[in-house]
Amino acid sequence: MIKVTKETINDCARNLMFELAPGQDELILEDFASVLAQIDFLKSIPGVDQAEPMTFPYREHQRWMREDKPEKPLSSKVALGNSKTRLGNQVKLPKVVGNKNDQMDE
Amino acid sequence: MTKWMNKPISALHDLLVKGKVTPLDLVEDCIRGIEKDRCNSFEATCFDKARAEAKRITQVKEEEYLKGIPFLAKDNFSTKGVETTASSRILEGYVPLYDATAVSRLRRAGMILVAKTTMDELAMGGTGTTGHKGVTTNPYDATRIVGGSSCGSAAAVSQGIAPLALGSDTGDSVRKPASYSQTVGFKATWGRISRFGLFPFATSMDAVGFFTRNVKDASYVLTALSGRDKMDMSSSSRKRERYQNYVLEHRTLKRVGYFRHVLDSIQDETIRKSYLDLLHALSEKGYEVLAYDYPEALLDALYPTYMILSCAESTSNNANLDGIRFGPRPDGTPQTYAQYMTMARTSGFSDMIKRRFVIGGFSLLSANQEEMFNRAQKARRMIVDEMNRFFDSIDYLVLPASYSKPPHLDELTTAWSTKPDFLDNILTIGNFGGYPSLTLPLGVEDGLPFGINVTGRNFEDGYVLSLGGEIESIVQRCDIIAQEVK
Amino acid sequence: MEFEPVIGVEIHVELKTKSKIFSGAPCTFGEEPNSQTVLFDWAFPGTLPILNKEAVSYAIKICTALRMKVDHTLYFDRKNYFYPDLPKGYQITQQFRPIGTDGEVVLQVGGKERRIGVEQAHLEEDTAKQVHLNDISLVNFNRCGTPLLEIVSRPDMRSGEEAMKYVEAIREIVTYLGVSDGKMENGSMRCDINISLRPKGTEKFGTKCECKNLNTIQNIRAAVDYEIQRQGRILSEGGAVEQETRRYDEAQKKTVLMRKKTDAVDYKYFREPNIVPIDLDDDFVYDAVHSMNKLPDAYRRELRQRGLDEYQIEELLKDRDFVLFYEGCLNLSVQSPTNLWNLLMVEILGYLNKAEKKLSDLPFTKEQLVELSDLLSQGKINSRQGKEVLQAMMEEGRDPLQVVKERGMEQISDDGEVEKVVAEVLAANAQSVADWKRGKDRALGYLVGQAMKLSKGKVNPSLAKEKILEKIGPCGSER
Repeated sequence: MIKVTKETINDCARNLMFELAPGQDELILEDFASVLAQIDFLKSIPGVDQAEPMTFPYREHQRWMREDKPEKPLSSKVALGNSKTRLGNQVKLPKVVGNKNDQMDE
Repeated sequence: MTKWMNKPISALHDLLVKGKVTPLDLVEDCIRGIEKDRCNSFEATCFDKARAEAKRITQVKEEEYLKGIPFLAKDNFSTKGVETTASSRILEGYVPLYDATAVSRLRRAGMILVAKTTMDELAMGGTGTTGHKGVTTNPYDATRIVGGSSCGSAAAVSQGIAPLALGSDTGDSVRKPASYSQTVGFKATWGRISRFGLFPFATSMDAVGFFTRNVKDASYVLTALSGRDKMDMSSSSRKRERYQNYVLEHRTLKRVGYFRHVLDSIQDETIRKSYLDLLHALSEKGYEVLAYDYPEALLDALYPTYMILSCAESTSNNANLDGIRFGPRPDGTPQTYAQYMTMARTSGFSDMIKRRFVIGGFSLLSANQEEMFNRAQKARRMIVDEMNRFFDSIDYLVLPASYSKPPHLDELTTAWSTKPDFLDNILTIGNFGGYPSLTLPLGVEDGLPFGINVTGRNFEDGYVLSLGGEIESIVQRCDIIAQEVK
Repeated sequence: MEFEPVIGVEIHVELKTKSKIFSGAPCTFGEEPNSQTVLFDWAFPGTLPILNKEAVSYAIKICTALRMKVDHTLYFDRKNYFYPDLPKGYQITQQFRPIGTDGEVVLQVGGKERRIGVEQAHLEEDTAKQVHLNDISLVNFNRCGTPLLEIVSRPDMRSGEEAMKYVEAIREIVTYLGVSDGKMENGSMRCDINISLRPKGTEKFGTKCECKNLNTIQNIRAAVDYEIQRQGRILSEGGAVEQETRRYDEAQKKTVLMRKKTDAVDYKYFREPNIVPIDLDDDFVYDAVHSMNKLPDAYRRELRQRGLDEYQIEELLKDRDFVLFYEGCLNLSVQSPTNLWNLLMVEILGYLNKAEKKLSDLPFTKEQLVELSDLLSQGKINSRQGKEVLQAMMEEGRDPLQVVKERGMEQISDDGEVEKVVAEVLAANAQSVADWKRGKDRALGYLVGQAMKLSKGKVNPSLAKEKILEKIGPCGSER
């Protein structure tokens, strides 16, 4: 586990692309005291670590997949209608510069 | 407040069939109701569109149960041409290009959307106080909450503004507010109603739900909403059913169960007594009423399991909200894409949402995942396995839907609960296992309502509704319009 | 100390389905920006992924060709990160349960067989495309959602040549299967290569560098060999290799640093809850496997049996259309596969290249080409005539038998006829016969030429040569 500190909390926020308002990290730190205690409680339930992690509420046989038939695409005008940052028929952003991360190349 | 909209769908349907009212009369009545709303229940409205649709309907036939009747939708259902914000600043001005399947299916049945209702921001909350438009209050007492996250839908149906409002239920977001507003709130089996167009909160638990004022109405609505949708791979390919037949023919299963530990823990005497009376009445009616010892540890596990899973999934589900393709552009002049996104998200989300996201994001980090997210997923498995064992021998779980009066607005806190009361979180079992679950009115205490909840096996939505019908006939509380007590 | 290179390759193969992997938007190339999208591609709230059957079928074919185990239940996962080309804020991939596991590719390196393990192959979606201008970037979502299969090798390669051959083998397989264009230059196949060195004879891996931007097969060899040298130099001088991402600079012919791998991004992988596990029907898997095109190695075996040499085989395999055409001709029981190869791979290929035409543009049938090939094999026409006939076939769409007849090309192969011509030639060229007998071996060619001339090219030259020798005996017999 990564230690919960104001610094790791703010890192986590920045990784999620937002800044915390002043004092919020303090509150989250308090929240975490409860969170971690509750995690420990979950850990204490007999058999929990042998259980298989659950994503889907139940398991049903599903075999359907979509046929490979192209649909009529949206016009760029309609698709971009909600964007507040566009240039012509494209989305416009400040130039991506420096400090490239892994994802850039993929 | 309203002339027609205070009646249930069944009554309006009769009037329409007999030609005593027109759909336009109903829409106008609904609009009047919206304008007189006293709880802050509404986001965007689409009055002109509703009027135009109403005018196109010239006749309603006997078998067209829902046709010509107005409805409302929680603001996390995508509605073509009608601003949809999920009560969050980050989506202000967003006008979707498409209708959610739930909305289009009701439209196909002839129903008319009149307005969108308020909610807790991004559906992440249970108080109805965190939306960008402020607090939505309880129609019975403006100093109390109506509950959330589907607050506006509950308040509107309860006030008699519309006989149906769509909601969504990830933890208890339909069933709890139904309890606080004396309405019928139903959450279908996960996968029974398409989620296409429902803004996701925690996908693995999100379910489309809705509010009506009686169980029969709910059963007709479920029939219209349910069924396979090729736009949602998780929607079940099981055959659609005519759920109203379960209710009309009183087709119920016979074994009703309760958790002994829950009964023992109820503090509120009025609620406890009403609950016991109901169990007794059911037994009188020939139901086998059975106690079940659901492990206390798993009850205490409900809150952390729910909070960790829902916060974690929500960080990912809301990662598309970056102000680039939709939503407001950030003020100022960002120099990089990262600044652009950060500025949009910093001003777009409330502090409460950010706190939840940080905890959710933290629990997904590779170094923490095993301890946090995966452990919660394991706890979920245990909770569901145990519930499935319950269902091996018992057909229904019947529990109070709330265990106290609706909280006062000034009692609220947004902090992570230090000592969560499992009773407040008991309905999350329905989401963990995907079960169909119904809340309907049980009684009032000092004029403030509380409800009873029925949960059944997956895809036994019809049986759940029909037991709801039985309870309705015992309790004799349906089609109620809220009277302000304070 | 001697070092051993350890090389692993990750390949992203773009699958050429008609629509995207999780949405119904068309998969196209070069259309107007943002004109090839549907709601899901913009991650409008509430939209959901709907898996494309054909992408799964293509993946199964590739996995089968790579001798992998195919998972009959599909699960997907989310890879979470923020980037403008990723509208949902996560990429749907298969982190925990890849569709294919544990396969291999067999290479021929230096005349020896090398088995390269393939660890896994997983389905995922491509990202949007960005164009970077002076001070802004523009995002085009047309490519967003194109199906990709990422194929991850085991670290089994030991040289630039092996890495190159491995990528070439995969490229060949996906193009032969018809499931991808496999073009590195336009990005329909993209490679990342991990290279590290370790002291020879040891097991533990050294620190690796990842190499990107390899947009031709040749660059792979060059980049790997350069890296091996670079790392070898560092290690020999007692230094330590740093974990880095590097790219190959074609102009400088070396790898250059892109970034140090200090702060790896945490992708917070977790299962995609919108796609419930999909149980593949046995029939579906069976159909995918049994509709696979013949693979290059199968052609290699067959062509070897038909007597082609390695050079001829490899030339032919460079283009699947030519193999199919050639195979079609073989099935018409052509007499000499080699003559056929010469016609196809020398004459026809040369003509097509010059005329900028495709194989499918040829105005004659396989049957007609086989007739021409057989005329040559049977010695009915000579190779010069063969070229002339082929010219008429390619340019005018003529039938070879008709051309041969019309132009009186049929060779004389009848013994008596040939002997008559030979007798006439010997009588008229006594001097050359005498030269031959005195040891001037050039005389023979001259005499055969005279026989051809006399018969207007119709006499079968080898038969004429044989008959002349019968008459004039060995060279230099009267020296």
